[in-house]
Amino acid sequence: MKGRPGIAGQAHPFTLFSVVAGVAALAFLLPAPTGPVLLYVTVVALAILTGAGASVARAALICLPLWVLLILLLAVGGDGARSAIGPVTVSRTGLEAALAQGARLGAVATASFVLFASFDPSRFLDAVAARGWSFHAAYLVVATLQAAPRFRQRAAAILEAQRARGLRFGGGPARRVRALLPLTAPLVLGMLSETDDRAMALETRGLDARASRTPLDPPMDRAADRVVRWSVAACVAAAALWRLHALGAF
Amino acid sequence: MPVLRMENVTVRYPGAPAAAISEISLTVEPGEGVALLGANGAGKTTLLRTAMALIRPASGRVEVAGRDTARLHPEDLADVAGYAFQNPEAQLFERTVRAEIAFGPRQLGWAAGDIAQVTSEMLEQFELTPSADNHPYDLPAPRRRIVALAATLASRPRLLLLDEPTAGLDRAGRLLVERAVSAARATGVAVMAVTHDGDLTVESLDRAVLLENGRITRSADALEVLGSTDDVPRLPAPAQLDRVLGLGAASPRRDAVAAALATRCRSRG
Amino acid sequence: MATPAVALHLEGVTLRYGPDDTAPALADISTRVCAGEVTWLFGALGAGCSSLLLVAAGLAPRHTGGDLAGSVTALDADPHSPAGRAALAGRIGYVTAAPAAQLSGVAATVWEEVAFAPANLGWPIERIRAAVPRALARLGVGALHHRDPATLSGGELQRVVIAAMLVLEPGVWLLDEPASALDHAGRLALYEVLREEARRGAAVVIASEDADTLLGLADRMLLLDAGTVAVDGHPRDILAGNAAWQHRAGSTATAALARLAARLLEPVPSGLRPPYPLDIESAIERWR
Repeated sequence: MKGRPGIAGQAHPFTLFSVVAGVAALAFLLPAPTGPVLLYVTVVALAILTGAGASVARAALICLPLWVLLILLLAVGGDGARSAIGPVTVSRTGLEAALAQGARLGAVATASFVLFASFDPSRFLDAVAARGWSFHAAYLVVATLQAAPRFRQRAAAILEAQRARGLRFGGGPARRVRALLPLTAPLVLGMLSETDDRAMALETRGLDARASRTPLDPPMDRAADRVVRWSVAACVAAAALWRLHALGAF
Repeated sequence: MPVLRMENVTVRYPGAPAAAISEISLTVEPGEGVALLGANGAGKTTLLRTAMALIRPASGRVEVAGRDTARLHPEDLADVAGYAFQNPEAQLFERTVRAEIAFGPRQLGWAAGDIAQVTSEMLEQFELTPSADNHPYDLPAPRRRIVALAATLASRPRLLLLDEPTAGLDRAGRLLVERAVSAARATGVAVMAVTHDGDLTVESLDRAVLLENGRITRSADALEVLGSTDDVPRLPAPAQLDRVLGLGAASPRRDAVAAALATRCRSRG
Repeated sequence: MATPAVALHLEGVTLRYGPDDTAPALADISTRVCAGEVTWLFGALGAGCSSLLLVAAGLAPRHTGGDLAGSVTALDADPHSPAGRAALAGRIGYVTAAPAAQLSGVAATVWEEVAFAPANLGWPIERIRAAVPRALARLGVGALHHRDPATLSGGELQRVVIAAMLVLEPGVWLLDEPASALDHAGRLALYEVLREEARRGAAVVIASEDADTLLGLADRMLLLDAGTVAVDGHPRDILAGNAAWQHRAGSTATAALARLAARLLEPVPSGLRPPYPLDIESAIERWR
């Protein structure tokens, strides 16, 4: 099955999931602050090299307000010995903590955005079928994710319909709260009603069938995919051992 | 004064190569009924939405009840115009049919007595009185569409914009809609409806505007446009029979054709 | 000639959606539907046509809530028991009016959408590859096989949804206003497919208000009223008389016109008495 363009899109679906899981694990296993910072830099470099630069930018945009918050709370507002950086003084330990947390956030966010950008639901489901894992369970997860764009379209349609009936949602807080029900209730009711209909349709299309699902055109699991997955696993295992050693476990 | 006036209106969707509608000019006078006909994608719904200020035109002028819609939002037109959407579920939210119908007038700040009166009127007109205290979602889908239409009419708009008002309805429901549209027109309401329903066009509307690739290619009496291309509904059976049999009915509507048919059959014994 | 097999058998079926004091959706209904026939369920809103299809498919009351009494057998299995459902997987084709809620939501192309059910049933890939294009072609949407379902119009989607059932070659078709989203050409294409399915030996049960076009398709009509079978007979015989009107259902446009005219006269002249003309050609003959 053809994937999305770009190296990330061509990779086997499970590879990217392993990478994201691995990044998340390493973010907390690697010794702060150098570990997470190096991790973030590595993830950004890999993302740019594989053509996913846009995801780097998107993730950074999302993290920006949180980074600012971290700097203000932990670095500027922290305790302990301080250093001067330009016009302000920052706590040294606070700055290290802010860098570590910020880098962890950045690394996981970037990896996640790369995953989202290249996620292909039918390719993923085919990979699940090829492994013989529970198709029904995977389907439920994927279908829920797919519901998001429909949700947005529905919400937009509801907003229009209620505005056309004279609903005004500006003004004071009381008015805004009152305007919520005509906007949210149709959304919930509509989705519930559609869920019922869809559940019936899916049953008639064999989703509950006892047979194991035939993969239609399973994505190739290349050697490179396996290498990447095993490398991630090895890095996580090494980091875990190192951490246990550092904690004096052995 | 026309209730709706559109002058040289062009609408472009962002990223689309061609305009959705180009240089549309039309007017709808009080009491007139216009059917918007044409293939899917011809621009019918776009035209309707532009009239309700749901879309801003790239060029041209739209006036509803004398108001220039250039700087207006849909909620600014809600007191004079009513829009019935293709998907009625987009608006239903109240716990009872009665409350749903009353929502529009309440938003517009009507007095309680007036709200109660129009609600009973709508319940009766649309045969919803037995279901007045039911949840709209407890009703079958065709009845939900009727509830949404009743709710739209409850604000007593001067301009009614309908998007496929009879789609998915049963025979009884279609008759209710036909009668409601005719009754509204009789009180001076101007109606513009996107439809594929030939019966609705003949029974409740009088003019048909044919849209092709975003332009108006014909604007004429409904009877002339129906059946003229593959993209418009065919002439309903009563009108066809009137023509073929030369019944001489007073109008192509089924009541008039039935009367003419009765006359012919009576004289034959 | 061998008697056709009974594909669907309802015996004493009562379905209630609400508490005991509410009117039942189906009231002690008993009927047999044969393979190779097109059976038309006709009735006013609330008469029970949709409920009958849901019960036959084993979907009500499990998904809808409510209580079911009586027995249902489809293709010699009970769609209301887990064992029966497993045996019936992919053998009942259930289609409703709105395409959007029938899509899998995870298919990148129309081809994948139609392959969804066969893949779920574990068909070998070669069989799927052969069957999918055939089903698409029969509904006239073969050219759309690579398209993203999200970009299709309502009519195209409905054809895809029907193809997605057709690919399974079900033994029983249960269709609830399947042509609602289709234009005239689409309607005719669908009915031709259903005719072929009946010839192949499937039992086709279709609930529809579209008297004018369904007249040429159905072999048998069950006129429903208040959850019971009021009349069971040939569609032409029923629609040409007053029975459908007495049970609040309608008829074809020309029959409706005849009745409308008849109401204006006393006594009713012979030209306006049953049997009513059911299509334009017979109307012209009758009233020339």
